[in-house]
Parts: sequence; C-alpha cells; structure tokens
Amino acid sequence: MQKITRRAMLGTSLALPALGVARMAWAQAGEVTISHYFTGDLGMNAFNAQVEKFTEATGITLRDSPVGHEDFKTDILVRAAGNSLPDVFSYWAGARVQFIADAGALHPIDDMWAAKGLDDVIARPVADSATIYNGQRYLVPMNYHYAGMFYNTKVMADIGMTEPPATWDDFLNLCEALKAAGITPVALGSRDRWPAQFWFDYLLLRTAGPDYRARLMAGDARYDDAEVAAAMAMWKDMFDRDLFAANANADDWTDAADKLARGEAAMTLMGTWITGYWNGNGLTPGEDYDFFEFPQITEGIPNAAVGPVDGLVIAHNAANMEGAEEFLAFMVSDAGVQAAWADAQGALSANVNVDPAAYNVVMQKAAATVAAAEAFAFNHDLATPPPVAEVGLSMFARFIDDPSQTGAILAQVAGDAAAAFDE
Amino acid sequence: MNRQNRIWRTALLAAPLAVFGLFVVWPLMSSFYYSFTNWNGFNPNYDFVGFANFGKIVTDRLFLNATINTAIWMVAAIVLPTALGLGLALLLDRKLPGARFFKSVFYLPICLSAVIVGQIWIWIYQPDWGLLNTVLRHVTGAEHNWAWLARPNTALWSVIVAWSWQQTGLSMVIYLAGLTGIPGDLLEVCEIEGASPWQRLRRVVLPLLTPSTVVVVALSVINSLKGFDILYIMTGGGPFNSSDTLAMHMYNESFAKFRMGYGSAISVVLFLIAMVVIGLYFRQLRKVDRIYG
Repeated sequence: MQKITRRAMLGTSLALPALGVARMAWAQAGEVTISHYFTGDLGMNAFNAQVEKFTEATGITLRDSPVGHEDFKTDILVRAAGNSLPDVFSYWAGARVQFIADAGALHPIDDMWAAKGLDDVIARPVADSATIYNGQRYLVPMNYHYAGMFYNTKVMADIGMTEPPATWDDFLNLCEALKAAGITPVALGSRDRWPAQFWFDYLLLRTAGPDYRARLMAGDARYDDAEVAAAMAMWKDMFDRDLFAANANADDWTDAADKLARGEAAMTLMGTWITGYWNGNGLTPGEDYDFFEFPQITEGIPNAAVGPVDGLVIAHNAANMEGAEEFLAFMVSDAGVQAAWADAQGALSANVNVDPAAYNVVMQKAAATVAAAEAFAFNHDLATPPPVAEVGLSMFARFIDDPSQTGAILAQVAGDAAAAFDE
Repeated sequence: MNRQNRIWRTALLAAPLAVFGLFVVWPLMSSFYYSFTNWNGFNPNYDFVGFANFGKIVTDRLFLNATINTAIWMVAAIVLPTALGLGLALLLDRKLPGARFFKSVFYLPICLSAVIVGQIWIWIYQPDWGLLNTVLRHVTGAEHNWAWLARPNTALWSVIVAWSWQQTGLSMVIYLAGLTGIPGDLLEVCEIEGASPWQRLRRVVLPLLTPSTVVVVALSVINSLKGFDILYIMTGGGPFNSSDTLAMHMYNESFAKFRMGYGSAISVVLFLIAMVVIGLYFRQLRKVDRIYG
C-alpha cells in the first residue's frame, strides 16, 4: 500500500506540469490570442472597448496579453524565438514588419483583404506604404500618426506669432525671439532615443529629399555623404544657438510635453500621440496647443510628412487563423471602432469611412496635412532595418550629448551602418 | 541502502533536477548551440557560421567597451558594499544610541526590488529637481544641473552608487553577526596589553571576521554577476552604450538588433568569465577553509 502511494506521488509530480501544458493548449481553442503595446498612456481601456465590440459582433473572444510600448519590442521577439507567438499582435509598419515578414513569421492576408473588400476601406497612400511586403499583404493599419511641430498656443501668441514659420530662417528667427523672451524654444526628451529621430528625419527630408532618404534607409547611400552632413550641420547649428532644452537625454517625451504644457518651452517635434497625452491631462486642442508643419528648407524638394503606422499582423502559425483574420478585418473596417479608437489614441484612422469631423480641430488639421503631403515617410527606426536603426538611434543620443563631435560621429556611424546592412 | 530508500531519493531528486535541467542546463546548452549560428530570433531557418560570431567579438568596439565596464562594475560592486558594510557594522557595534533603529534603516534597501531602487535613484539623479542636484545647489550656492545618468562619464558610476546603496545593508548585517562572535574578553586583553584601536582592528577584529568576509564577498560576486536589472532600469546601457556591461550588450545585440547568434556568443564569453571568477573564488575559499575550517 505504501509503495503504491509513493509511486502515485512520483507519477503525480511528473503529470502535473504536463496537465498544465495541456490546459493552456485547450484554453486556446475557439478564442484568438493577441499581444499588443496599447497600454497605459497609449490606451488600453480604449483598445479593450473596441475588442468588446468585436466579441459582440462575432461571438469570438480574445485572450490578450498587453505589454508596455518599449518592452513590447523585445517581448515579441522572445515569443517568436520561443515559437509561441500569439495569433495576432500589434506591430509597427515599415522595416520592422519587413524584417519579420522576411523571416517567414507572418501569415499573408491577401485573400482576406480581397474577400473583405479592404481596398475600398483603407486610404490608398497608407495601404500602399504600410501593408505590402515582398509583394504580399501582411498588415492592417490600426491607425497612423503624423509628426509635427507642436506648440503652446499661449506662449506663441505672447511672442507675437501670427502665422507659422514658412522657411527655415523664419523658424530660426522665431526661436531667437522666444529665447530673448526667456522661453526655451524647443523641448526634447530623448532618453529613450527615438524622440530625437524626427529632427534628423525632417532635416534630411527637407534638404536632401524623400528619394535620397529612402536610399539612405535602404543602405544605398552612406551616413558620411554630404547630404547627411548638411542636415546634421543644421541640427548642430540649433544646438550652437542654444535652442534646445538642456539635458534632453535625461528627459523622456512626456517630460518635454509637460514643459510645453507648463509654458516653460514653446515647441516640440513629436507625433500626434502627444495630443492623446495632453487631452488626458486636461488640455484643450486648438486652445492650449496646436501644431505647424516642419518648415520648408530647400525649395523644390517634395513636401514629406513623417509618422508611424500601428498595425495588426497574424503569426504564420496562428492557432485560430480564421478568428484572427476576422478580427483584423473587423478592427480596420468598422468605422465606429476606428473613429473611437483614433479619438482615444490621439491618432488618425486610415479608414476612409471615418468622418474627419469626428476628430478634434488639431487632428483634423493633421489629417489634412498628411493628405496634402507629397510623400509619407516612416520615421527612422521604422524606415531602416532594426540593426541599423539601433546604430542611428545611438548616433542621435551621442550627437545630442556633444554636437561638436558631429564629424567623428558620422564617420563611425557610416562604418557601423554599412556593416549592419552587409549582414 | 535498501530499495525503498533509493526510490525515495530518486523521487525527491527528480523534481529539482528536472527544474534545474529545464531552466539552467537546457538554456545554457541552447546558447552554446546558437552561438555558432546566424539566427535572428524570428526566422526558423538559420545557417551554421562556425566561429564567425566569436571572431566578430574580437573586432567589436562595443564589446571591448562592455568588457571594461563589466570589470569596473564587478570590482566596484565587490569593494564598495564590502567596505561600506564593514564600516557601518563597526560603527553600529559600538552600542551607539539608536543603533537598532539605524540597523533597520541601513538594511531596508535590500528588501526593495532593483526596479524600485533604480526608480528612486532616477529621481535622485534627475537634473532639474532631483535630490542630488538640489542639495548641491543649496550647499554650493551655484547652479547644478548635471544629468548624472544621461552623461557618458557619470552614467556607470551613478548606477554603481545606487547598487552599493542597496547592497551595503546586507554586508553590514553579516559583519554585525560576525562581530558578535568575537569574544569581548579577547578585545579587553588587547586593550590591557596596550594595543591601539587601529592595531586591534587590523590584527584581531579583521582576521576574526574573515569567515564573514568570505560570505560577503561571495554574495557580492554572485550579485554583481546578476546585476542586470538595475542597470536596465536606470540607463539601459546608455547613453550610447557608455554604461553597457557584457550582460547589457548581449541583451541589446540579441533583442534590439535581432542578432540572436551573436548575442549567444557574447553570453558564452560571459559564462566563461563567470566560471573563471567563480573558480578563483573557490580556490580562495579552500584556503580559508584550511585555516579556519
């Protein structure tokens, strides 16, 4: 009798973990698993509210595991490495999706796209730039953002700005006027590095143009080219003039946003998600803050808008492929979901059926600005492959720490980036 | 030994061995395996590249930088908490008023997670309103807005200070326990024989504290090798890799640059370094055992 008990104990100790694994597999049946980075300031409640609408409409439930925005970048890789990707996950359109599409980790959605008639639903420029990789569609755009020069309206009114600066000289004059009035012209919180990239993106796009930048991002041009040096020289000139808030590398983007809200700084170059952050803190769009386009620098260069597209993709080995496709289609094509989501996120919808009147005044302006732009470019860390993006992001941080080293930094980055492209 | 005992032993060992095998041995072997590949983490297909990843290590400027930082980190993480812990223990052992209160206060940080300690020190180091610069401003009367964690020449040391602040309490408690084991009459004899306080410390107290020192250094070595979380929270190896340690560099290469193969190669090197350090430590431990055993 005693022996049986012991054997039973040994058996049970081995069987219990196995049961746990079996239970996890069983729980997956009939529902769609999802991981996303829409947490905290980036709207978990809003996302869950939209998911509820999906469950009501289809009866399919979702089991989600949200991960903070910065941590998501590594978390999803860990899951991919462990071959345990969720059915659906959020991801940034551009070089990052390209990277995992190249790796064969994604399920193509061309059939679903055609069956659901998404060609008539998704705005053409976004659909063309964000959803197709290697000739196949892999992503649906949940929303997109536009990076503009956001400013404190009261501070700008006090300084006497009646219309946005049209040229680079106008912009520098405006900055000097602000400085003379004791206000920091530009706030920048680059602790997480990426907030600095919009400066590089716009300076390069406005001087060398979208075609050159696309070549740089693809590895067909080099970081020690004259074009890059010229853009960096303008950025350095701004630091030499002391136009940026001190210790940018010590702040994160919300610190910069707070400095603007408090009226200590006048402008910050940031994506439209900053509106969601400010609105959540009780600021009124149009009254407390507004934005203008990054000024023109070189005449005749096509006017490009910069921003990221947040998308949803399906893992190549999704357990519930049908439910996953259903979910993607519903989330982008339901105009009610898209309008509510864009509003909560401080984002723009790529769904053509979303009435622009549903946006607040600032977001309406952002939508019109992107619509009028001659090109839409992803920001640096989404436009170039991840290993190169890392090189670039560190370059921005190092440059901000000591702009006098620009030449040495570019020489080193040119080598590092070329090596990363050669892998 | 009878059969039943053998079954018992196997049964009781099976579970911990399975856990150890699954969570330590298996990942370790996997790292060795992947260090010879060019796997990017996402792609199920990869090639064997022989020793190419290890060859790359030799020319990797960031690897050299991380190795130097790791050496600084390990030495500082062993010396600072040990020295500070000993100093505090000697002070508090003198039955000062409020000594028990201070013991608790100094021990408290070790009860906090590295994430919390990191966040506390991020606030202390904040350039505009952080405690450190505010104190400096008041004391010196001059403007101080140094961004301790965001400048390359202070980032690593700022994290080391935060780390030492947390670890010192543990060393202190171990030394305090060691001090209670030193007989009072022995110190009394020394005093009667005319030994100065310094001679008593140097010739009597410190040698008798050697077993405590062994424990303190052992814990410091182990903890410093594990010290990734606080660095990840406070600087993430930044700004621009200036506070990278090998563990941080491995993490960035693997997960930010999607170079799992190369990251695994770094982890193998880190593993070998850890083995050398632990080997040296065990050799010393055997010596101590022979003397005090």
